[in-house]
Amino acid sequence: MAEDLVLDTAIRDWVLIPLSVVMVLIGILRYFVSKLMRSSTQPDPKIIKEGQVIIRARNLRAGANYIPAKSFRARKVYYSNEENGLLHVPKGQAQNPQAQMFSDPNMAMDMMKKNLSMIIPQTLTFAWVNFFFSGFVAAKIPFPLTQRFRTMLQNGIDLSTVDVSYVSSRSWYFLNLFGLRGLFSLILGEENATDDTQRMMQMSGFGFDPSKSLGAEKDGLDIIQHDWALPKFEQRAEAVLRKLVK
Amino acid sequence: MSGHDNSNGSSEKSSSVMDDLPTFNAENMQNNMKVILYSRTFMAIIGGVIAGILGLTSLTGFIFYFLVMVITSVALTAKAKFSIHSYFDSWNRVMLDGFFGGLMSFVLFWTFAYDIVHIF
Amino acid sequence: MVTRTEEEEVNRLENQVENGGGGAWEYLCLVHKLKLRRSDLVLKHGLSILNDSKKRSALGPEEWTLYEQVAVAAMDCQSLDVAKDCIKVLQKKFPGSKRVGRLEAMLLEARGLWSEAENAYSSLLEENPFDQVVHKRRAAMAKAQGNTSAAIDWLNKYLDLFMADHEAWRELAEIYVSLQMYKQSAFCYEELILSQPTVPLYHLAYADVLYTLGGLENLQMAKKYYASTIDLTGGKSTRALFGICLCTSAIAQLSKGRSKEDKESSELQSLSAMALEKDYKQRAPSNLSVLSSTLRSLKI
Repeated sequence: MAEDLVLDTAIRDWVLIPLSVVMVLIGILRYFVSKLMRSSTQPDPKIIKEGQVIIRARNLRAGANYIPAKSFRARKVYYSNEENGLLHVPKGQAQNPQAQMFSDPNMAMDMMKKNLSMIIPQTLTFAWVNFFFSGFVAAKIPFPLTQRFRTMLQNGIDLSTVDVSYVSSRSWYFLNLFGLRGLFSLILGEENATDDTQRMMQMSGFGFDPSKSLGAEKDGLDIIQHDWALPKFEQRAEAVLRKLVK
Repeated sequence: MSGHDNSNGSSEKSSSVMDDLPTFNAENMQNNMKVILYSRTFMAIIGGVIAGILGLTSLTGFIFYFLVMVITSVALTAKAKFSIHSYFDSWNRVMLDGFFGGLMSFVLFWTFAYDIVHIF
Repeated sequence: MVTRTEEEEVNRLENQVENGGGGAWEYLCLVHKLKLRRSDLVLKHGLSILNDSKKRSALGPEEWTLYEQVAVAAMDCQSLDVAKDCIKVLQKKFPGSKRVGRLEAMLLEARGLWSEAENAYSSLLEENPFDQVVHKRRAAMAKAQGNTSAAIDWLNKYLDLFMADHEAWRELAEIYVSLQMYKQSAFCYEELILSQPTVPLYHLAYADVLYTLGGLENLQMAKKYYASTIDLTGGKSTRALFGICLCTSAIAQLSKGRSKEDKESSELQSLSAMALEKDYKQRAPSNLSVLSSTLRSLKI
């Protein structure tokens, strides 16, 4: 193992700091670009209605104990009966999301835009980092790592004697990619919370499938037990009043 | 703690008498969660910079992160006047939420400050 | 919902602005954000900003939202000329905008030109059938014309699609109450309680409707909801306290014929009567005798 290496300050001034600044700026730029590109497409009434039904059913599930049993039963039937309940999805109608996407080019377009705004800047920065800043040690991470990480972290440095914690600029890039997410959520507000990992998850799942969530909501509603909370409130009110009168 | 967690004073609380049935306002809950996440990220970044400047390495650094998180949790609990259940639905929310999310930010800023102060 | 801290902030700013202490823009922003209806103040202070070209240009792009806000406030105060001027400015800046089109339709409505306004709204809806504000304006217009059944129709149509909009549910509930259609309005209040279980106002209104419906079962339910209102407001709702007293006596009257009596609730009534007396003693001592005679007449 080598003794402590001393890195050139030029690396700090021309690699480490610029890379971070660029990544922050790109993150902010991407935020505003995606805000601009967010198209206001004409929503489908069916999808709006399904969304609203789900909200309402969720409310029913959450607040079931606040309405009388009779009202609850009536609503439950209204939502989940097998003939024309709001949450009931006929078998054949359950669309394949993939097929749905192809039938609606707008949706595919939206998807594309979202993914492009993520992929393009990332690929470009990665290429830029690889092209300009490869082949030297750029940073040292302050904790030891095992030899296995060498190929990953010291990509482009062909020295087997350097400690693994000395890493190349590409590793610094990845560290930035993941670590800056917290910073973005601080400076850009919560809207940026749909971070890359979540987006990747969405990409593999290809959007959300309303019929599926309708079904899930129906199942949730089916198993709920109604336990009217109001009788307890009488005692609570008594306690409140007793305190007040005293 | 600076003023970044000032907004959780608006949380609802129905009555502590016979609090056997939970009455939570979803919107306020979400706001509280947001405040927690915000404070944690903030503390993780600040903690990372401090750890880097102090020159902590390997295990000490992670212990430092853990300590910072514990301090944040305690501070949040104090801010909630030690009655977690009137602001959140479980202890885990205060103790664990944002723990791992903050770790990446911590490592990044730790490395950054450490490199700038000690390596170059 | 407006929280207590926000309310204090609004009142503080309002005082400051009224006494010429500045901060008018902050006040207007807060009113806009909390969707409060303080049209006269908004009109007064908004206009004073808009008439001052230096202050106006300092706002930057926010200038246009201020124009919109002032226009709506002016319509609410029936200063239609001001509203017209504001809309004209906006029209020049954003020709062909739907948002301005909405304001124009509202101006027609404020003038009482119902059929023109109706046409304007329908054409707006043709362009964008999911404009919630326009849908609601239509229902409000029907109500303003005194055509409540049409208002109910519009609201029902609207709620069929946007069924999670609790403001519309509330409006519908109030219209039903005004038409004495209590069963329907009870349904609406249930829906409101479901969507916001911690708002005491809905519990109280639901209890009122149940009490009005009458019948032993409904009265008992009404009493429970009055109790929950008391719990949620910390015993500060005078109406709920009276409700408890009324419900208890009505229940006692109804179940007098039967041998079975529920004694469990007697304490709640005496407690709320005591709370009422205490409240009256503090705030309206002159009416205390009226209260005690009323309460005595209720006790059977």
